[in-house]
Amino acid sequence: MKKDQVNCVDAVKSGDDITIPNDKRRTLIKATGSAIIASGFGLPLRGYAADPVNIGALYPMTGSMAQIGLGCVAAAKLAVEMVNQGGGIKSLGGAKLNLIISDVQSDTTVTRTETDRLITSNPLSAIHGCYASALTLIASEVAERAKVPLITGSSSDMLNKGGRTYTFTPFARASQFAQAQLQMARLVSDKPKVAVIFENTAFGTSTSNGLREQAAGEGVEIVMFEPYSAGLTDAAPLINKVKASGANALFSVSYLNDLIVIVRTIKQFGLNISINGGSGGFVMPDFYKNVGQLAEGLQGVAHWNHDINSDAQKVNVEFKKRTGEFLFEYAGGVIAQTYMLADALERAGSRDPQKVREALSTLDVSRGYAAMVPGGKVKFGPDGKNIYGRPLGVQWQNADLATVFPKADAKAPLIKV
Amino acid sequence: METLNIFSIKSKRIFYILLGMIMLVLPLMIKSSFALEILIRILLFAFIGTAWNLLGGYAKQLSLGHAAFFGLGAYTSTILEIKFGVSPWIGMFAGGFIGMLASLPMGWLCFRLKGPYFTISTIATANVLMLIFLKFRDFAWGAEGTTIPNLGHAPLMMQFETKTPYYYVVLGLLFSALVITAWIERSRVGYYLVALGEDEDAAEASGINVNKVKRNIFMISAFLTGLAGTFYTQYIYFIDPQTAFNFNISIEAALVSIVGGVGTLWGPVIGTMLLETTSALLQSWFGNSIGGIQLTIYSLILMAVILWRPTGIVGYLKEIYQRRSNAKGAQ
Amino acid sequence: MTETLIQAIINGLLIGGIYALVSIGVTLIFGVVKIVNFAQGEFLMIGMYITYFLSSFFGMDPLVSLLISMPVLFLLGVLIQHFLIRRVLGLNDLPQIFLTFAMSLLLINVCLMLFSANYRSVHTWYSDEALNILGIFIPLAKLISFVLAMFLSAVLWVFLHTTDLGKAMRAASQNRDVAQLMGINPNRVFAVALGIALALAGAAGSLLMPFYPATPMVGQLFVLMSFVAVVLGTLGNVRGALVASLLMGIAESLGIQFIGADSGLIIVFLLLLITLALKPGGLAAGWRR
Repeated sequence: MKKDQVNCVDAVKSGDDITIPNDKRRTLIKATGSAIIASGFGLPLRGYAADPVNIGALYPMTGSMAQIGLGCVAAAKLAVEMVNQGGGIKSLGGAKLNLIISDVQSDTTVTRTETDRLITSNPLSAIHGCYASALTLIASEVAERAKVPLITGSSSDMLNKGGRTYTFTPFARASQFAQAQLQMARLVSDKPKVAVIFENTAFGTSTSNGLREQAAGEGVEIVMFEPYSAGLTDAAPLINKVKASGANALFSVSYLNDLIVIVRTIKQFGLNISINGGSGGFVMPDFYKNVGQLAEGLQGVAHWNHDINSDAQKVNVEFKKRTGEFLFEYAGGVIAQTYMLADALERAGSRDPQKVREALSTLDVSRGYAAMVPGGKVKFGPDGKNIYGRPLGVQWQNADLATVFPKADAKAPLIKV
Repeated sequence: METLNIFSIKSKRIFYILLGMIMLVLPLMIKSSFALEILIRILLFAFIGTAWNLLGGYAKQLSLGHAAFFGLGAYTSTILEIKFGVSPWIGMFAGGFIGMLASLPMGWLCFRLKGPYFTISTIATANVLMLIFLKFRDFAWGAEGTTIPNLGHAPLMMQFETKTPYYYVVLGLLFSALVITAWIERSRVGYYLVALGEDEDAAEASGINVNKVKRNIFMISAFLTGLAGTFYTQYIYFIDPQTAFNFNISIEAALVSIVGGVGTLWGPVIGTMLLETTSALLQSWFGNSIGGIQLTIYSLILMAVILWRPTGIVGYLKEIYQRRSNAKGAQ
Repeated sequence: MTETLIQAIINGLLIGGIYALVSIGVTLIFGVVKIVNFAQGEFLMIGMYITYFLSSFFGMDPLVSLLISMPVLFLLGVLIQHFLIRRVLGLNDLPQIFLTFAMSLLLINVCLMLFSANYRSVHTWYSDEALNILGIFIPLAKLISFVLAMFLSAVLWVFLHTTDLGKAMRAASQNRDVAQLMGINPNRVFAVALGIALALAGAAGSLLMPFYPATPMVGQLFVLMSFVAVVLGTLGNVRGALVASLLMGIAESLGIQFIGADSGLIIVFLLLLITLALKPGGLAAGWRR
């Protein structure tokens, strides 16, 4: 039966077109069409001054991942405003960024059709999305074939495989998260015995594979390694198993609803183990809202946090003003990604997605919002990975997420619970 | 046996030929990729609905587990393509064949049950298959699924760079399904199907080998649905258990028939056209406003259709025709 | 090892109580009205939201909110019967199934519009506490839910077997035509059946609130298990649904414990298919209804 939101018909949805009215769109399509043909013959493109640059954004705004998707969209909009207020893309005559948003409904099929529709209906210079690894993989496939660059914070290692040249991942990969989690476990206990439970789709599987492969190397013993079906009605059987395994630490790779139930069940069972909730729902404000005090001291990993540098803190304040919540991991990453796209557009001096891809592949920044990443530097390798990318270890302290790992990035001490 | 005899046989043929010609040139006339996308979806789900209709519409065996065959078809062709380099054209028929084979044990189990038990057991079977494919990483990529390798333009491997060839493929599939359905409808098997759909015991009593008929129609229905699975996977470049065995596919297959008219040739086609178009329109009007509004309206429309015309649109059209011809006859 | 086993059984039993409330509702509707209610999970969801809002605005304890969520859902059931179900009664399975299916879609999306997809939790003093009996942990919130679920089932049982209306319902479920001949008003009986079923689902929601977060999609998770239990226990058989639900809860828990954490569902489904293969009418087929 239905486990996620039921879409009676997997239908296509329209992008949220912010500024371009229909007739202008047709002109743009004709213009871009001829421009693409022209560029195919090696003719130089005439930059249309003051015409906006279209960036596509694909996020789950309905369905099981809706609240995260909506947060990402809010961040995307904020980022575009920030870029535009800063003068837009100067090499294109001050052209403003135009965000075209599409809801992928937390569904793989819809992602496929929406990515395609977004690309074919609008002249896009680049796209970003989709939060969930499974969805991003599909968007990446479509973008690759359509030759439009995709920049994403999704952590799946598969996004850097298969000879892709149009997918760019400025943030830490699932395998790196795994390593960070293991290293954090060593900080809390000398002989960590870890139980690993993970949801059995792309997100959980990649991260947990990374854990399994690197555990021995980091001096961590894995005493339990179990996939589970996401959407738990009851975490008690799972926690019972964790208890029986004798673990003193739990790594849970889960989405938000399961995390809530897991953390509460652990308390019910009076189980005294340190929890590292990985990434995903764990690092969302909603997590704290639902488990309250139980979250204090829980650790996680994230590819971005709002305290990594002063730029991050600045946007966090602005985001909080707009949405009432602190700027969470993925959303903060989206802002940085938008600036990376802006940087590429500047250097490319063109709206042509292929030129933008070129510019992205030669991106090398260490200042400003485009470098608002852990480590403060972004440069892409041939597989689209940021060679400086590294994850952060975070901990819930006083109802907020503080970066506690690695030492170089820590803004607060790791409190041993 | 109901056939809509609006026109004479000759006019009907002309109508069909015209329709066929329009369908063939349609993609060449349509500029918008979005519109073509919707057309492909309509044709695909009309195809799946027509396949379902054989079992669920004529024979009234309400299966909500057809996603099982869809998924098996999808996985068969994908495994053959990625692990053995076999072209999906061949893989498609292999997939249909596997689906057909699967319908035998599934039928053996499910046909022993009546009414809602049958339906729920079909749901359970499709779900079990999904769970199995989620678990087994070794031969079928497990929960992560896999993408179809990017071969650019590779017609022999069912990969095209534009949408138009996909349109023709699925048009061909739908055409075949309609031809098969029409042929069955007019044959003796068709009579048996309707008979057993209306009253299984009476059908048995009048000498029809009900079990054999059910089994055979199930096999055909499963085979066709398996073909759809392959097409879909090739079209979206991706497969994973939750997409391939998605309950929504089973639902849609049945839904388009009920809206359009169960047990009729054109029912699923009309139903798909209505539902998909409505859905696409709703999404383009309300898509990015408050989450949930377009499905709310969609479900209200659905409820209205069910309450107002439970026998489907085709049934309603026939009624109108009946009334007209009665009025004419009275003159 | 035995401790783990006993704990696993208790875990399954406790959550089985919640499944039971949902499945009893489904089976009651099927028995009396002969319709499979695919939207049952959504009424559980509504119960959760009612409880959530009563809790956050008035600080009402979820257990107290039962006194409100149950009557509200009872009324909802009567209204749905009168305006919707009545219209599709004479028809065959297909429109009936899809009507409830459309209802489910409607309810989920209306709630999505009204409440957004955010998770909502309620914390009570007993939410995260547990009794510790000889090393076996029994979470307090779940225990209370279980006890109340069994209590409600018992009340229903008494109602069905001692009151006139209850007996009328059982009569209608056994043979509608004869019941009508005996002077039983089917519409009234159906309305009550629907009302009770939805009230039970709403109760399940209220009972879940202390330890489970609410979201528009929550009904979908619980309804799956309940449906399996309903079929297993024979459609229309209230006692069967109850027993089967508890069994399902235990089977799932044991499956997770001893076979694999992702095998719970597969065990349950295989159990269902095997049972149907051996006993096509469900476990209780052959018992009196």
